[in-house]
Amino acid sequence: MRPSAGNERPPGRPVSGFVPGFAAGAPPPAAGASPFGAAAPLARPGGPAGPFAPPTQQQGPPVAQAAASPRGPFGAAPPAAMGGYRGPPPPQGSFGAGPPPPGPFSAAPPPQGPFGMAPPAQGPFGAAPPPSQGPFGATTPPSQGPIGAAPPPQGPFGAVPSSQGPFGTAPPPFRPPPSALLQPQSPTGNTMPSPTYVRPPPVQSQPQPVQGYYPGGPNPQFPPSRPSFQQPMQNMPPPSMGPPSSYSNQPAYPTTGPPMGTLQTLVEDFQSLSVSSAPGSLDPGVDVNGLPRPLYGDEEPAKVLEAFPLNCHPRYFRLTTHTIPASQSLVSRWHLPLGAVVHPLAEAPDGEEVPVVNFGSAGVIRCRRCRTYINPYATFADAGRKWRCNLCTLLNDVPGEYFCALDASGRRFDADQRPELSKGTVEFVAPTEYMVRPPMPPSYFFLIDVSVSAVRSGLLEVVAKTIKSCLDDLLGFPRTQIGFLTFDSTLHFHNFKSSLSQPQMMVVADLDDVFLPLPDDLLVNLVDSRHVVESFLDNLPNMFQDNVNVESALGPALKAAFMVMGQIGGKLLVFQSTLPSLGIGRLRLRGDDVRAYGTDKEHILRIPEDPFYKQMAAEFTKNQIAVDIFSLSDKYCDIASLGSLAKYTGGQVYHYPSFQATTHGEKLKHELSRDLTRETAWESVMRIRCGKGVRFTTYHGHFMLRSTDLLALPAVDSDKAFAMQLSLEETLMTTQTVYFQVALLYTSSSGERRIRVHTAAAPVVTDLGEMYRQADTGAIVSVLARIAVENSLSDKLDSVRQQLQLKLVKSLKEYRNLYVVQHRIGGRLIYPESLRYLPLYILALCKSLALRGGYADVSLDERCAAGFSIMILPARRLLNFIYPSLYRLDEVLTVEPDMIDGALKRLPLTLQCLDTAGLYLLDDGFTFLVWLGRMLQPELMNDILGVSLSNFPDLSKIQLRECDNNHSRNFMAVQRALRERDSSCYQLPRVVRQGEQPREGFLLLSNLVEDQMAGTSSYMDWILQIHRQTQSS
Amino acid sequence: MVKLTMIARITDGLPLAEGLDDGRDLKDADFYKQQAKLLFKNLSKGQHESSRLSIETGPYYFHYIIESRVCYLTMCDRSYPKKLAFQYLEDLKNEFERVNGNQIETAARPYAFIKFDTFIQKTRKLYLDTRTQRNLAKLNDELYEVHQIMTRNVQEVLGVGEKLDQVSQMSSRLTSDTRMYADKAKDLNRQES
Repeated sequence: MRPSAGNERPPGRPVSGFVPGFAAGAPPPAAGASPFGAAAPLARPGGPAGPFAPPTQQQGPPVAQAAASPRGPFGAAPPAAMGGYRGPPPPQGSFGAGPPPPGPFSAAPPPQGPFGMAPPAQGPFGAAPPPSQGPFGATTPPSQGPIGAAPPPQGPFGAVPSSQGPFGTAPPPFRPPPSALLQPQSPTGNTMPSPTYVRPPPVQSQPQPVQGYYPGGPNPQFPPSRPSFQQPMQNMPPPSMGPPSSYSNQPAYPTTGPPMGTLQTLVEDFQSLSVSSAPGSLDPGVDVNGLPRPLYGDEEPAKVLEAFPLNCHPRYFRLTTHTIPASQSLVSRWHLPLGAVVHPLAEAPDGEEVPVVNFGSAGVIRCRRCRTYINPYATFADAGRKWRCNLCTLLNDVPGEYFCALDASGRRFDADQRPELSKGTVEFVAPTEYMVRPPMPPSYFFLIDVSVSAVRSGLLEVVAKTIKSCLDDLLGFPRTQIGFLTFDSTLHFHNFKSSLSQPQMMVVADLDDVFLPLPDDLLVNLVDSRHVVESFLDNLPNMFQDNVNVESALGPALKAAFMVMGQIGGKLLVFQSTLPSLGIGRLRLRGDDVRAYGTDKEHILRIPEDPFYKQMAAEFTKNQIAVDIFSLSDKYCDIASLGSLAKYTGGQVYHYPSFQATTHGEKLKHELSRDLTRETAWESVMRIRCGKGVRFTTYHGHFMLRSTDLLALPAVDSDKAFAMQLSLEETLMTTQTVYFQVALLYTSSSGERRIRVHTAAAPVVTDLGEMYRQADTGAIVSVLARIAVENSLSDKLDSVRQQLQLKLVKSLKEYRNLYVVQHRIGGRLIYPESLRYLPLYILALCKSLALRGGYADVSLDERCAAGFSIMILPARRLLNFIYPSLYRLDEVLTVEPDMIDGALKRLPLTLQCLDTAGLYLLDDGFTFLVWLGRMLQPELMNDILGVSLSNFPDLSKIQLRECDNNHSRNFMAVQRALRERDSSCYQLPRVVRQGEQPREGFLLLSNLVEDQMAGTSSYMDWILQIHRQTQSS
Repeated sequence: MVKLTMIARITDGLPLAEGLDDGRDLKDADFYKQQAKLLFKNLSKGQHESSRLSIETGPYYFHYIIESRVCYLTMCDRSYPKKLAFQYLEDLKNEFERVNGNQIETAARPYAFIKFDTFIQKTRKLYLDTRTQRNLAKLNDELYEVHQIMTRNVQEVLGVGEKLDQVSQMSSRLTSDTRMYADKAKDLNRQES
């Protein structure tokens, strides 16, 4: 119903729509103002609840106050049933003075006052439009009466969602007897130094200077006496204070939801968004600008470290909620995935190194029963002679060599000197028992398609040059092994024997029974045969320049590669520029058929057609070979099938649609170099152990599962993350804390066998609210995204998207049920602070390349390639991929070069943010999209493009090079700055002009995930939709 | 023909280096590697009679030399000339001592000198074919004498350790028993008097 127009919602919006409460939040200039606003502010500072800390209480107070204060008066009022709460209640002096009620939220603070009150009353109000206030004023006095009653509840606000919570802070004493209320407690406001108040450090409430807000003069308002409230109040939407009163009201408000005061009180617990409009109004009731947007990217749950300082850093291990539910029933009420994202080799910031421990003759200290490695959470007993495993509680002996006395508190004297007893992340030197064979040298084998399409696109030249430039940086010097095999309709082996001056090529044409023409020298030591390899790379582009062969015998080539590498393992890089057409593993053009979409056959196109690839992958993994696929076809080449090679070998899929060396060469060059030179762990296996009562059930990512919980990873590096889901094995957890330990056993490039161990602890909770408080949006989205991609291999895209939506709705509904009863918040969408971006991310996920639309929206190969990417991306990059960063550059280009990084500000992804006179850049981690507004100054445009637009250059082919002018230099600096933030991918700039169809459509517009596109919802519609569904039962 | 090559420290049996693509065409390479490791373990207990020994196992021979507390071991076909095998080990030993000599004692992790595998591989290739001019010359080299090197069976060698263990156990039990007997006798004496 609300067309995009909705977005514009000027602040002026009729207040009614919004919850007043939020308005208060507004202060933050940012969009925040609107509904979220309120919440946001609070949350930020304090963080919604402290991690584990008894967040509730602390925060509670501030909130409460805030909320309370404004409405203080109202609070009282509620019972009174103010007919028209909305109106600027005359009575409340304070309000009146306040901002004009109607004002849009921005003004918010003042208006709320009224609302706050209203909430309780609502029943009646709903109907009553703003004007009604009149009554209200009158009501006040009576209202208090109710309040008085109310007092009791407050205490434990935090814990109990009960509305009072907030109040709780206010000491009961304060509650003024009704009589008191009546009197306009003017003095109360500030003056009353409520002792209570003191306690709760008003952490979050930013806008402390309450008074400022009350135009009317704070005093009058407060009548309710709680002095404490006052300060914060403005921000908060006035929570209706009296819980008791609130009950009565509940039933009352029907449709709309003017925000209930109570809500606010809970602020610390949740955020809410008013979504209903006044009856009869067309206004959708949502302030688009106020919707929460993740403009700061991923937020690592660093606060976890405050509660558990011995945990490994969250960059390595993140739970979707840093708690473990105590019972099966609690799990079933948590509709989001319960699991973790593990990024075992995440890059640590400079200067932070993982400590290495060598136990020497004592051997690696591990639990005898569950094989957990010793870690900071292990406890020592029996004067240091025994240690208790924190996962399975078994008492183990401490080997003599490892013995150390304990201090009075039971801690070992040497705990601080031993990283394994004081750090969450350590590496152990693995003794011989951890080796099935001596550490193999890192080896690289290249399988290069030299058929005509590869030659024509310039692929060979880029690949040869790049590999040559990387020879010095390949891992594992001086043991590195290297080899090449080229193929078209035949296989070409190359002999790199070090005594040769030129490589020898041997052609094998028998594709049915592949054999190696030479026993040795196909995979050689790079140092010894360096000159032969270089000579090969120099000649490679020329060797095949006249090749007109269009066939591709990839399957036999893979078999040959397997024979060459089988003994050693290593990395196999496959460059494929056309559909494999000969020999085993040949693939056919599976027409991407529009008729298949929406039927049960839709997913078949997304799964491998020929089991050969999966079988081959299994063989590769067994022999420690990781396969990276570089697909550079301009036509369909069945990434769904090829990708399974990477999927089961811990590899990666790179897709360059319509590859042309002139345009994509730079990207391929950077990504190939990174692939060859990034630090890699070889011959690895990973296992995640967890304490009693929980168990990891499913794993998502690129690996091969060996036994039930051992991930085999022939190669793994810092660009790969893994996700997994947990389940409870017991119906009731008996422990207070659950421990997790990620252990990655690998061979480093230098030939050392190491075990990297990450240990983390999470508390067991019995309260669903706490689970929500500790939820980690980044991890949740990662797990959901991977599940969704996997589901898309067995289901229709449409139902995958529906499942995502359903999960979101269920979880918000459950959350709502936690609070809605006590706080009449019918008209609002409420959600926990920790998940404030979740609805948007899920919307963005549904619109991501992998899951978007149907037949015509994304080419099949691109969709599959995006799916493979999602399966390995770490949380931060995933979030940026589905909700890309948009920057306005035309202003940035004029600043000093060293200021650039700070001048880049992310914008919401909506067309409304694009100014036709602006220059924008959209960065999704894979591509830079440069958008030129129609009214952009021509000089600026020419400076950057290096050519004049009046020549009508073909923007799809244009390459951005640094030109001799400040704009261009700055523009390049911006690109460099952005690339530095994430070096794992090279974003290729693509230029598009406003109105240039259809390129603008699929390049940019489809990335503006907040806008309505064919068949998809805009952010606002999405929120309304979600809200409606959470309300329906 | 050389099948396996391993270098280990005999003080604790820590493997130091190993030929890289050994056992490519060997069916039960793992079995023989296991045997070699067992051998190292025995050696680390200090039970070796000579610094040069050949041990027959199945269709193969293990040959090893021990020098400066490092054991260089290779496994060859029965038909492979003993003389060449030992010269191969000598070559490895000379190079290994030259390159890593001073770090051998301090090496703390297994395969600390895995980089040596490239040399092993190269040298091995030189010895692959017994009929090359170079190898024929070595075979005819009168200066290098291998006749005195004993040949034993692998079961025997691996068994020796067990037996010796048993003997030492028995003897220590005997000692303690004797002591007890002496004490008891003393007691009895005292009681009598």
